[in-house]
Amino acid sequence: MSERKPFHRTQPRYWWAHKPYLAYTVRELSGVAVALYGAVLLAGLICLWRGPEAFDRYRQVLASPWSSLVHLLLLVAMIWHVVTWFQTMPKTMPKLILHGRQVSQQRLTAIGWLSAFVCSAVFLAVVVVTGVLS
Amino acid sequence: MIIRTTPKRSMSPIFWLLFGAGGMLSALFGPALIILTGFMMPHGWGVPSRFFDFAHVLAFAHNPIGKLVTFAVISLFFWHGAERLFLTLKDMRAGNILMLRMATYGVAALLTLITLFLLMEIGF
Repeated sequence: MSERKPFHRTQPRYWWAHKPYLAYTVRELSGVAVALYGAVLLAGLICLWRGPEAFDRYRQVLASPWSSLVHLLLLVAMIWHVVTWFQTMPKTMPKLILHGRQVSQQRLTAIGWLSAFVCSAVFLAVVVVTGVLS
Repeated sequence: MIIRTTPKRSMSPIFWLLFGAGGMLSALFGPALIILTGFMMPHGWGVPSRFFDFAHVLAFAHNPIGKLVTFAVISLFFWHGAERLFLTLKDMRAGNILMLRMATYGVAALLTLITLFLLMEIGF
């Protein structure tokens, strides 16, 4: 009688906290920071709906040093999200062929980063110009 | 040979679409939005301080385009985070799939409805 003994590769419980998987975990959690920032905006919307007094309290909270620290961390996570989003984008999209030649992944990533920078910079510039003109 | 006339359809593409839309929107405008609402508006840096007045922000929320932008940003950011958190927790084997779905997609769906409700309640 033969006994079947299949090989099971062991997986450490906290594999995601170790290299090389840590990079994956950090990348995915930077996407969760995007949702946390959405929650900050939703809190503002709730205060706006509740009225001027609630909204004033929201303004006070946002002007506090703690809020600045949280937003700084959110900004760092958001920038990491931008960096990794365009690093993975060429791997998830169909091959892009222009003039009979495949556009390289590095080039697509660079185009993504450039568009992100331009979009954010133009957006802020429009807001500042609107403020100056109004 | 078994021929299935009605293939089993997956719900996943719907979530991928929301995840992708939120990921692209946040990748293109996320840093600028955090700088604007987290630093410039609260401290009046580079923008007039009245930009953060109740009346100004309310006027933005009353405007149909303002409403659409607010709804898209908040809900898609939630759906993006939900998809990533779901897949990460699934890979971490943090719990059974149904529970993880409720804790991620469920929360995103609920917060999307709340956002929609608030924007409608605020009126035009």
